[in-house]
Amino acid sequence: MHECCSHAYSLLFTSHWNRLANLSVSYILCGGNIGNSYYSATCIICCLQMIPSDSSRQEEDEENEAPVKAKRSKADHAGEEVVYHPVKLSRNDLYRPPTAEELNQLKEAESLFHCSLLKMQMEELLKEVALSERRKRQIDSFIQTVTKLIQTVPDSPEVEVSDLSWLSGAVKVPFLLVPKTTKGKFHMAPPSSIDLIGSYPLGTCTKPNVMVDLAVTIPNDVLHPKDVLNQRYPRKRALYLAGLAQHLASSSDIGTMQYSCLHGNRLRPVLLLTPPGKDSSSFTLRVHACPAPGFFKPSRFHPQRNNIRTEWYTGLQTSQSESSEPPTPHYNSSVLGDLLPRAHLQFLSAVSSQCSAFTDGVALLKVWLRQRELDQGTGCFNGFLASMLLAYLLITHRISNSMTAYQLLRNALNFLASTDLTVNGISLAKDPDSTAPSISEFHDAFQVVFVDPSGHLNMCADITACTYKQLQHEASLSMQFWDNPTVDGFQCLLMTPKPMIRTSDHVFQLCELVKLQSSCKKLNLLSELMDHSGDYIHTALPFILSLLQQGLSQRIHLLTHSLSPDPKWSVESEAPKHKAQPPLSFGLLLRAELSSTVLDRGPPADSPKAAEFRQLWGPRSELRRFQDGDITEAVLWHGESICQKRLVPKQIITHLLQLHADIPESCVRYVGAMVDDVIKTGSEVSGTGEEESLVVVQSYDDLSRKLWRLEGLPLTITAVQGAHPALRYTQVFPPRPLKLEYSFFDREKTSRSLVPKEGKPCPVYITPITVICHMEGSGKWPHDRLAIQHIRAAFHIQLGELLRKHHNYTCRPCPTHLDVWKDGLVFRIQVAYHREPQVLRESLTAEGLLVVRDNDEAQALEMATIHKPLLTSTLHGLQQQHPCFGAACRLVKRWLSAQLFSDDITEDTADLLVASLFLQPAPFTAPSSPQVAFLRFLHLLSSFDWRNNPLIVNLNNQLTAVDYTEIKNGFMATRESLPVMFIATPKDKKLSMWTKRSPSIQMLQRVIMVAAESLKVLEHQLIDGSQKQDVRVILRPPLEAYDVVIHLNPKQVPLLDQAVDPPAITFSRGVMSGSAAQPGGPLPVIDYNPVSLYLGELREAFGDLALFFCDPCGGTVITVLWKPKAFIPTPFKTSQVSARSVEVTGDETKTVPNVEAILEDFRIMGKGLVKSVEARTEKWSF
Amino acid sequence: MAPSKKKHAKNQACVIPGGFTVLSLQFSSDSAARHSLYVKEHRVRAERSSHRPLDRTLFVLNIPPYCSEDVVKDLFSQFGSVQSVELRDHPGSSQESGPKLSKFFKPAEKQGFKVGYVVFQISSSLPAVKSHPHDVPLVVCTEHRPVKTGLQKWIQQYTNSFIQPEQLQQKVDSFMEDYDKRKEEEAERQKKEAEEEQEDEEGWVKVTRGHKGTKARPHSEAANQRTLQREITKKKRKELLNFYTWQHRNTQKEHIAELRKKFEEDKQRIALLRAQRKFRPY
Repeated sequence: MHECCSHAYSLLFTSHWNRLANLSVSYILCGGNIGNSYYSATCIICCLQMIPSDSSRQEEDEENEAPVKAKRSKADHAGEEVVYHPVKLSRNDLYRPPTAEELNQLKEAESLFHCSLLKMQMEELLKEVALSERRKRQIDSFIQTVTKLIQTVPDSPEVEVSDLSWLSGAVKVPFLLVPKTTKGKFHMAPPSSIDLIGSYPLGTCTKPNVMVDLAVTIPNDVLHPKDVLNQRYPRKRALYLAGLAQHLASSSDIGTMQYSCLHGNRLRPVLLLTPPGKDSSSFTLRVHACPAPGFFKPSRFHPQRNNIRTEWYTGLQTSQSESSEPPTPHYNSSVLGDLLPRAHLQFLSAVSSQCSAFTDGVALLKVWLRQRELDQGTGCFNGFLASMLLAYLLITHRISNSMTAYQLLRNALNFLASTDLTVNGISLAKDPDSTAPSISEFHDAFQVVFVDPSGHLNMCADITACTYKQLQHEASLSMQFWDNPTVDGFQCLLMTPKPMIRTSDHVFQLCELVKLQSSCKKLNLLSELMDHSGDYIHTALPFILSLLQQGLSQRIHLLTHSLSPDPKWSVESEAPKHKAQPPLSFGLLLRAELSSTVLDRGPPADSPKAAEFRQLWGPRSELRRFQDGDITEAVLWHGESICQKRLVPKQIITHLLQLHADIPESCVRYVGAMVDDVIKTGSEVSGTGEEESLVVVQSYDDLSRKLWRLEGLPLTITAVQGAHPALRYTQVFPPRPLKLEYSFFDREKTSRSLVPKEGKPCPVYITPITVICHMEGSGKWPHDRLAIQHIRAAFHIQLGELLRKHHNYTCRPCPTHLDVWKDGLVFRIQVAYHREPQVLRESLTAEGLLVVRDNDEAQALEMATIHKPLLTSTLHGLQQQHPCFGAACRLVKRWLSAQLFSDDITEDTADLLVASLFLQPAPFTAPSSPQVAFLRFLHLLSSFDWRNNPLIVNLNNQLTAVDYTEIKNGFMATRESLPVMFIATPKDKKLSMWTKRSPSIQMLQRVIMVAAESLKVLEHQLIDGSQKQDVRVILRPPLEAYDVVIHLNPKQVPLLDQAVDPPAITFSRGVMSGSAAQPGGPLPVIDYNPVSLYLGELREAFGDLALFFCDPCGGTVITVLWKPKAFIPTPFKTSQVSARSVEVTGDETKTVPNVEAILEDFRIMGKGLVKSVEARTEKWSF
Repeated sequence: MAPSKKKHAKNQACVIPGGFTVLSLQFSSDSAARHSLYVKEHRVRAERSSHRPLDRTLFVLNIPPYCSEDVVKDLFSQFGSVQSVELRDHPGSSQESGPKLSKFFKPAEKQGFKVGYVVFQISSSLPAVKSHPHDVPLVVCTEHRPVKTGLQKWIQQYTNSFIQPEQLQQKVDSFMEDYDKRKEEEAERQKKEAEEEQEDEEGWVKVTRGHKGTKARPHSEAANQRTLQREITKKKRKELLNFYTWQHRNTQKEHIAELRKKFEEDKQRIALLRAQRKFRPY
């Protein structure tokens, strides 16, 4: 590691960047414990030296073979050295005549993809998911072992199917025996053949979760052609598997053995085998038991035929004839599915051999599906369907054999986006025999239709219409992203996971699935239940989905549901009951503009549709007369504040489920606004601050109008702009109009102002709301910085005078600003002159030459008078487009401030980050609930590759694709000198001015760590209802990591009631209830916050020695972290002796910080505010 | 944390290498911890300022933020009467430039540890300070000299921050009057100079060395660049693009070069990403 340290800084990025995340940091948020990782970010370099160069990836690496690892680590090491340099090609290289081959290559890269980058990225991705040769060898050898073992299954005597005595007690039958008995005889016998089926022989098997399918053919004499009836065949199949399991259990060549079932279908159990030893997790062998091909006649499985008799299923004597029995399409297709795998494999192999890119195309499609959680569970669109889809496209010549993998993916997505299989099913059968059902017959029985080459099987039998709609939605979204040159298509199509909790705006769960049994009864679904062999969850699901779809209609874009994962259970236990499944989750993608309307207006009372409407809504539907004179049916939902209105979908869902499906409200766990709690304003009914923000903005609009109309100013006002977060709806706790209790304060006589009284609690904090007032440019303005300052002061005085005269507002002019007390709010008006930054930059040299030099002062002024107002108005506009933007920003900022990051990620930066989620939501759609935006923010923060990419926030859609490339190239070329967190906006393409000062690399690293941890904890809580529900856990920062904790006196913390956990006692702070005061009256105490004053003093005095952190929203602790660098003894220098004491050893004089005196100073400087100073660490020297 | 070699000596001054004497300072008589002040006579050869006479000025390092000039003056009065105290953020020569500003317009002062220049009335006070024993601390806040910190201080600060608009207006007026006068004088002078630089009948210009503050003729690099750029854009506007065959060929050549460059860039970017193993989808 020695060489590494020599250029530690460049390493900070390249290697450490990834690595810190993998540190074994025992960081527990709930307990607020960072364990031993002493604030790992601050001593990054120390860490670097301690970590062996490739320890981080070791555990993750599935391939632990020694030579491979050695190679890897070498490659890794080389990788660390790679630093991006702008390409410098010599003139000769650039302009030499191209060869035909090169031209082709370049042309291809240019025309087929946005850039060749995408092509190369996909190639790299394919390498990552492909199985290695070594892995294949392992698999092959394990298959051989298992095949040999299975072939030696001993015969057993023939018994009744219901007689399980031949099985030893250790192995159970993987089947739910409802009803208990069925006819038939069974005996164990060696299989007639064992074949590989599915993705592995086809070559489309990908990492992770490598699944290898092995079909074991049940000998014909075990089965009977009439076994299709009444679950006889599925039971025999389960028994056969149990027999195999019993036989394999004794072998030492098998690692673990579990039962599962294919795509959650309980009729099709499978046996999962893993190899013994350390390879056990690298792949799984899935053993299917199948009948011999063609053993049953396919025509028996026509979707309109019945194969389960009501009499047998219910146990009741009925007099139904066979013809009137209800059809059992799902049962039929599940049995038929067992007959065909070999045929399917043959078919796909034939297709695959014609098209060279077929396997790669399937692999890409599988990655795409997996990132969208569509490839696993009951009713999934799995890899098999993906291959079949590509085969269909090849056969119908929608794609040609010579196309490349990415073209296959693109065409497949395009086909999915444009074809609705719920209406127009497709078929692979070329010339189906006469007994095969027609497409329309399939449509009658199933929601989604995709018929296999035999023409008898609908491969999409279990897929619900909602899942298919989701697939379509995702495909069309992906196509959009792909076509958009400003979006990194590769990242958002193939690299970003889309879990439901982060994708859907609202999520709800059905917790007690047993209740669905009664829904089946209520919905009268006996025959469907029979068809699904008692799986009441998937029987009821389509009906519930269509019910909700109907009820939510215009409010949502999309309704999705989770695919219940395939259950797995050990061979020694009974098959789990249906209710043992994890809760079913549903996701809503809301239509922002309609989702929160409180009124559902139905048809006129006399129209025939009214009855339908009344049937849907039940007693909630009532006749209403509207302003336009219509009398219609309508449903009115409850909701006063915006926060309540956001939850109207919840009311609808619980109402409909209760009314039609007998699911009580207690079973519905609605995860839509659980996080919103933390920005609830205490006093109001139950709002999340939108209303308050609106009041502020209205008051500001009024002030701005009044300013425009002022007469008698020497120069006219050219612009009035807000420059405060409250004026763009993103202030965490927006200021509220206040009415003051004058007796609480002292008075300053001469200026009619209130002053805080000693001995009383700190008065209420009044935020000054900054307003920038641009004055007309004119020759009258002096060209001198000091003179401009004075003129500005004169303007403040005059503005204040006019406002007082015309509108009776109390004003206080200062040289830098004018405070106006209006409607119980304070506005701070700053006069600005547009040429002032320029004047600040100019200076005269000794020779009298004019030099223009950029300086901090000018930049700060430009920031305050130009950029901030612009950002404020832009984001104000964004709020108008996306109603939940403000609330999302406020959640985010509440989290940042609670985790003590608000000084590193400033308000403006945070707002920009959130804005990027709305402006560039790929791969999602723009968030329509604050909660989902917050989750995505945490994900963005923790997963964005800040080292290699600029975050481009395309405000007002001003940036074009060309700008994007320009920004990226500029960024790459000068990466080292740019801020660690680089945010580009249309007005700021090169510098990232909002993040110039902060965060530092160490703080960013820590923010990333905490964000990742918070996201994990929060998502877990939101998904898992069985956990303790306390979302505030993510807002309690761990204090163990800090060296000193200064506890503050809550009495003197003015914003105490905004704290994460507000204390039980409250202090009177000189506020009266009631509406805001009339204009006039004495000026209140403005911008007086002892905590921030104290923090400012501490930072000025000890900024070189320590970092100070505090939650500005009512935090009662200030945490201090010593800077390790300051504690290295340094030689005595007159410029570096602040707060240090000397130590003399011989002739050397060294200085170290005088910690005792500093701690004492903490107390002295915060007298009255500080309760105690707690030094946590004893180690002051490093 | 006193220097080790001085530990045994009571009632003695503590001098560290570099010639600084260490004085200890505590906030009040009951505080436990002490800061150390490092003092030395002010001796800078280059400086000939009347503010800091060499024989009477004491250079003090590490003055805590709660000590204002008055407090420091008071603290050092025990060694002899103090003429003036100057507190600064960093050691260095005093610079006074520009017009005098009223207190309303002065930039806010930093509240950190300061260095001080204490000027005594007589030079014999300096040895008195330097022989002050190390273990007898100076006390900042005593009964007859209470020093406000924390809440009390902030409330006082807030109360003091009020400015009477009339006073402010007055200050502004007087400054602007002053400014206008200065501007006028300046303009006068420039006019005179301009007259001098006028060409005479035969086209000769008399060039004189400019005074401080005069604007020189644009003989800078930037000005040259600007004229050059103007010429180029003018030419470009007139030119026809892709008109002649050679122009067309050139454009194609440029295009291929561009593609090549991009291809190389992408390749490098990929190599970088691969090195960081960024291609694992899950």
